[in-house]
Amino acid sequence: MSCCNNYERMHSRRDFLSKAGLGLGAAALAHLFRGQAFAGAQVASPGSHIGGLPGLPHFAPTAKRVICLFQSGGPSHLDLFDDKPVLRQRFNKDLPDSVRQGQRITGMVASQSRLALQPSKFGFQAGGKSGTLFSELLPYTRGIADDICVIRSMYTEAINHDPAITFFQTGSQLPGRPSMGAWTDYGLGQLNENLPSYVVLISVNKKGAGQGLLARLWGSGFLPSKHQGVQFRSSGEPVLYLSDTPGITRERRRMMLNGAAELNQIQFEHAGDPEIETRISQAEMAYRMQTSVPDLMELSKESQATFDSYGAAVHEPGSFARNCLIARRLAERGVRFIQLYHRDWDHHGGLQDRLPSLALDVDQPSAALVKDLKQRGLLDETLVIWGGEFGRTPYAQGDASHEKYGRDHHGKAFSIWMAGGGVKPGIVHGSTDDFGFNVADKPVHIHDLQATILHTLGVDHTRLTYRFQGRQYRLTDVHGKVVKDILA
Amino acid sequence: MLPHFPAPMISTQLRAALLTLTIACMPIARAPAAPLQFNRDIRPILSENCFQCHGQDRAHREAKLRLDEFESATQDRDGFFAIVPGKPEQSEMIARILSDDESERMPPEESNKHVSPAQVALLKQWISEGAVYERHWAFIAPQRPVVPSNPGTSWGRSPIDAFVLQRLTQEKLTPSPEASPATWLRRVSFDLVGLPPTPQELDAFSADAARRGETAYSEAVDRLMRSPHFGERLAMDWLDAARYADTHGFNNDSTRTMWRWRDWVIEAFNSNKPYNEFITEQLAGDLLPSPTLDQRIATGFNRNHVINSEGGIIDEEYRIEYVADRIRTVSTAWLGLTFECARCHDHKFDPIEQRDYYRLSAFFNNVPEWGEDGRVANAVPMIPAPTRAQQATLARLEKERSAAFEAADAARAGWTWNESLRTQVEQLAAAARTATDANKSITTIEIPPPDAKIQASVLPGATFDFTHKDGLSIAFWLRPDAGNPKDVALLSGTNHQGSPADTSFGNGREIRLINGEIELRIADRLPVYSITVRTEGAGLRPEELHHVAVSYSGGKTAADVRMYVDGREVACRTIYDDLHGGYSKRDFLVATDNATNAARFLGTLEDLRRVAPAASSETISTLFRATALPRALGAIDSGSARSHETRWIADALLAEDAKTRDTLAREIDATERLLALRRTFPTTMVMEEMDVPRQAYLLIRGNYDAHGEKLDAGVPEKLLAPWPEGAPRNRLGLARWFTQPNHPLTGRVVVNRFWAQLFGTGLVKTLEDFGSQSEWPSHPELLDWLAREFVDGGWNVKAFLKELVLSSTYRQSSQVTADLVARDPENRLLARGPRVRLPAELIRDQALAVSGLLAARIGGPSVFPYQPDGLYDSIVVGAAYPGTKWLLGSGEDLYRRSIYTFWKRTMPHPMMLALDAPDREFCTVRRSRTNTPLQALTLWNETGYVEAARRLATRMIREGGTDDTARATFAFHASTGRRPDKAELTVILRTWENLRTNFAAHPSDAETYVAHTGASAVDAMIPPVELAAATNVASMILSLDETLTKD
Repeated sequence: MSCCNNYERMHSRRDFLSKAGLGLGAAALAHLFRGQAFAGAQVASPGSHIGGLPGLPHFAPTAKRVICLFQSGGPSHLDLFDDKPVLRQRFNKDLPDSVRQGQRITGMVASQSRLALQPSKFGFQAGGKSGTLFSELLPYTRGIADDICVIRSMYTEAINHDPAITFFQTGSQLPGRPSMGAWTDYGLGQLNENLPSYVVLISVNKKGAGQGLLARLWGSGFLPSKHQGVQFRSSGEPVLYLSDTPGITRERRRMMLNGAAELNQIQFEHAGDPEIETRISQAEMAYRMQTSVPDLMELSKESQATFDSYGAAVHEPGSFARNCLIARRLAERGVRFIQLYHRDWDHHGGLQDRLPSLALDVDQPSAALVKDLKQRGLLDETLVIWGGEFGRTPYAQGDASHEKYGRDHHGKAFSIWMAGGGVKPGIVHGSTDDFGFNVADKPVHIHDLQATILHTLGVDHTRLTYRFQGRQYRLTDVHGKVVKDILA
Repeated sequence: MLPHFPAPMISTQLRAALLTLTIACMPIARAPAAPLQFNRDIRPILSENCFQCHGQDRAHREAKLRLDEFESATQDRDGFFAIVPGKPEQSEMIARILSDDESERMPPEESNKHVSPAQVALLKQWISEGAVYERHWAFIAPQRPVVPSNPGTSWGRSPIDAFVLQRLTQEKLTPSPEASPATWLRRVSFDLVGLPPTPQELDAFSADAARRGETAYSEAVDRLMRSPHFGERLAMDWLDAARYADTHGFNNDSTRTMWRWRDWVIEAFNSNKPYNEFITEQLAGDLLPSPTLDQRIATGFNRNHVINSEGGIIDEEYRIEYVADRIRTVSTAWLGLTFECARCHDHKFDPIEQRDYYRLSAFFNNVPEWGEDGRVANAVPMIPAPTRAQQATLARLEKERSAAFEAADAARAGWTWNESLRTQVEQLAAAARTATDANKSITTIEIPPPDAKIQASVLPGATFDFTHKDGLSIAFWLRPDAGNPKDVALLSGTNHQGSPADTSFGNGREIRLINGEIELRIADRLPVYSITVRTEGAGLRPEELHHVAVSYSGGKTAADVRMYVDGREVACRTIYDDLHGGYSKRDFLVATDNATNAARFLGTLEDLRRVAPAASSETISTLFRATALPRALGAIDSGSARSHETRWIADALLAEDAKTRDTLAREIDATERLLALRRTFPTTMVMEEMDVPRQAYLLIRGNYDAHGEKLDAGVPEKLLAPWPEGAPRNRLGLARWFTQPNHPLTGRVVVNRFWAQLFGTGLVKTLEDFGSQSEWPSHPELLDWLAREFVDGGWNVKAFLKELVLSSTYRQSSQVTADLVARDPENRLLARGPRVRLPAELIRDQALAVSGLLAARIGGPSVFPYQPDGLYDSIVVGAAYPGTKWLLGSGEDLYRRSIYTFWKRTMPHPMMLALDAPDREFCTVRRSRTNTPLQALTLWNETGYVEAARRLATRMIREGGTDDTARATFAFHASTGRRPDKAELTVILRTWENLRTNFAAHPSDAETYVAHTGASAVDAMIPPVELAAATNVASMILSLDETLTKD
């Protein structure tokens, strides 16, 4: 690691110097400038990225960045993406044992006397030239049918939220592993010197319900903690501690920062510890972030047409729509991994009422984001992922004939979609059985998805490793196969 | 003032940096001339490149070849030999590594592993020299090495230094000069108490060191070790290892109460508990003979793991996870082995088989616990854990109660029944009855007539509505027959039907008779999510008539329950206290419950009363007397009166008698005060053993439900150390195994961690892994010497640390030349003193200390200092569990040391997180140390840090002297431990003047600023412009690299 730290340190110093003239003492600057020649010589292609590992990417990437629109709680694939006419014929009939195959079920339905099949109450319609079926709850997503790839054959071993969502984001059901964004930041480094390379946006949950999110989902696990995601918040300051205390102007912050830089430089000359120079440059980056982040969050220059495309909710801070728009702005600015969360898909009961309202939150903005990226020529280099940690059961939780029926967690089969970044548009990959219970064709495991995401970024998932506790760890553990079929 | 280097030679520095890139990637290599050693030079190459397929994991062994054993490696394989000792050219291993044929070459392409030419040369040399294998060094017990002599040098005070110097000499390096006394004092203060020395202490020590030399150093260490902050500082690192937190983790992540355990750790270090006892009590305090409360609290170490309360999880899956977490923690913290790698298969690198893993796990498999628990409170098993102060009060109240009982018994002693008392007793009974009848809160509930063998009958659920916020009391007379089962329902409105795996199982409320004790259960889901409280020592014997009352005041915790027998409050204990949801108003069955084949209560259950809202103890007492006195008189008349029945009369009369009234009242009062105190005790989670141990199994591929062979508890004896003779096969025996003097790992792992706490990096860099994949120690002999010194010296932590901090090695200056940075960027060779950024907690603690804000109180519940508003919004679970809101503290709680900051695992304090603190979801023994823009932002703008700057500014102005120079010097000195030199002072003064001028032009900004600097009082005597400018200067000083660094 130490060599990598040094490598990175060199880069950050170069980075700092490229922003020079920020008020360091003349002597200190002169000293640092003389360092530039050396540091510059170490950069293969100046300006490409900051930090990251030598030798990465392993091959030409098809995506420069990732936007993950995570739907926390487990959206029902059966009501959104995976139409099952057989269920309609078998309303309130028992799930055949031959289908269940002894699959374990959660404690929430453990003593339910029957597992009664529950067809979707929502109609499905074909979209685009590809004719992919989407639920009537997703009219806008249907509108981008030819831009996205729907995977109907996802599966996971986890059956409860915490392990399942941790699995999706870190490749392990248990805490302790780095998240996808942390791996990419570690491996590939930053594209932008004024913004963090891994940003997290979380929808404000007006309904106040839903499973908790956990800092570990965007954490760095055993990787150095600088690789953890930075949450951009919708209320208060966008990044914690970003805003200076009232009464501190830019000018005053600059004065204080100049003084600190000079004092630190004197200390460096005395103590010789290269960490001191890093600290000086990191403070400069902090100062730049104080401008670049508010600039990013300031949406007033967006056109009315853009606002309209994301829907009225785009004007509410913390809405999924607004976060999608911010995600596009982050993408434009070179942020490497943009992670959104929208909660409350956990419909154990009242699915009929709750699902449409959730779909309403996310359908239009998700589609608008894809179109917006496409319009700006960014979709080709941006991988967009839409999905949750698992799907839901084809049998009802509670009484199937009661209007308040729900569906329990289901990991054996579920659906997600992807767009851009080298993924084939307008296709459906994989399928489930007649009940939507088991994957019937082309199964895609969470680790396969992760391997594929890394692949689009030009990373061989078996070769992005980190030594911890005596062994080489990777995002996909010892598993994962790139889903070549969906790659263009 | 410290001497400065001349301006550095830039070109040297650049060259140095370039070298760093190449050199730092290599492990701490041997000195070129040293003879080859298998463990140091060869094992790492084989382990990294070969063992995965040719090691000890038999399930994944290729070609039946092991390269970790001489026998297998040198075996004849149809004329081929992987290794031919003495003949590298005939050794197939070398041929394969060098093969041009991709299908032949080892390691195979897809492994992404590669043996470098230099490594091949080493392998060849090793085979030439006979291919001698050694057991991995860390599995051989450390022997006390001979302390090297270093002729021709006078450097060094301690044997430690001799080892360090020997290596430096080999490397042709020399030690750095000694740091100034003040620099050393600041360094050692951070290491031993975690707080900076004051300027006065720095000056006093410098003078003392000049005058008394070594004595001054030694006494300074003693002084620091006597401070109660010593325990806090030492505890800090242990809390990471022990994954201590104030919440349960996982999705719901609600509050738990484990701070009594945290305080135990602080006390253990402060009292210099020998480290073998520190291990033993945490592993097995409950199994020691007559364990003390403290020893039981200590076992919370093995309960600090995350606990999942997500509805619908499978209990066994998570129970197994908790056992696994204990293995991971214990083996990381005390074995330095990645035991968990053998959970699903044999270990790939170390000779640990999957069986070994499950044999070790059997020690931790017998806890009476549930996979799903801890929704709103502690998970079982837990115990009440009074604080020291509460223990003192408890002792006093117990004494008072004994005295009161004795006095009351003395008053009763002279009393006998005679007929002349009858009228008075009847009057008392009548008065009580009148009072009871007049009490509108009391309702009589009709149930079948007294003394019948009770048949099940049903009472409407609304009769006993426990959901009411004002609570409810239930009172009745009870005479169990002799033939009752051990556990039987008296009144049950609880659903015992259905699967216990279901999230709604056992919903309801009921009162049961269990082994002569009364138990109340108010449950969302049995057994865990309930209030379950049982009388303690009520001893309701068969065929005896007693009045029972159960009272619940509606607050949803066990502390809201009171139990009464014969009108007096009795002690009870909490079995579960984790009620969160609602419970049904199911109808009540009398004398049975609705379980299939439910038992039926036999005996008398009569005169059932409901009191709502919940009755006072006086009401219960009156209710008792109204019915008890006539019953007692009746018993006397029939000649069947028992002594306790006669006593009802005695007590009623004595309570009326002016001579004895107070004595009797004191008896009740003393009991109630004692019980009220007990209800305030915090609980803490502990280890306990089940009466019948669970059978342990090998779990196939680590799956909780895939039982393989049955296994008994055991340790890898052949690999590491024998089972101590006569030791019990339980956690206590395990503790003895760990702490036997010749254990190869325990001592080394512990001293290595202490070393890293002081020097920033361990002698074995991988603090968590001493296995074959670990890095060769930088100073193997020193490590062994330290381990022997520590273990043979009685595991004496303070003495050990003292030796370290007084060594010349520790006392070196940390100033470094570019050459040395290049040569040894991480200071593994110890040619200089440590220079390490402070851990998160100490950065904040230092700011609190230098600003004068620090509230130095030790221990107690965790506190809620400043945290950005709305941090948890839209992130934490959408249920109102405790721990889902940040309850901002006030006053002193804002300024406690960071070890007391509420630690929420899924969303730790952002300042801690930004500064590399782990989330504590699992054992961590090595934190990363990063340097990020978010850290800079945090130090500029975090409210507590800004407040500390404002208070430091106030001190500068109030205490620092009369001019800017003196004031700047004061703040700089307090923060960095030294006075600024001229160049530094110039920068500070210029910055200050610029800020002052700028604020003076915008005085309202100064006022605004000062008004946003925390809750503590602003010194109104200082003009806002002055204070604002000075605060910015203080903020600058508090964010300097030197301030944040132990150097």
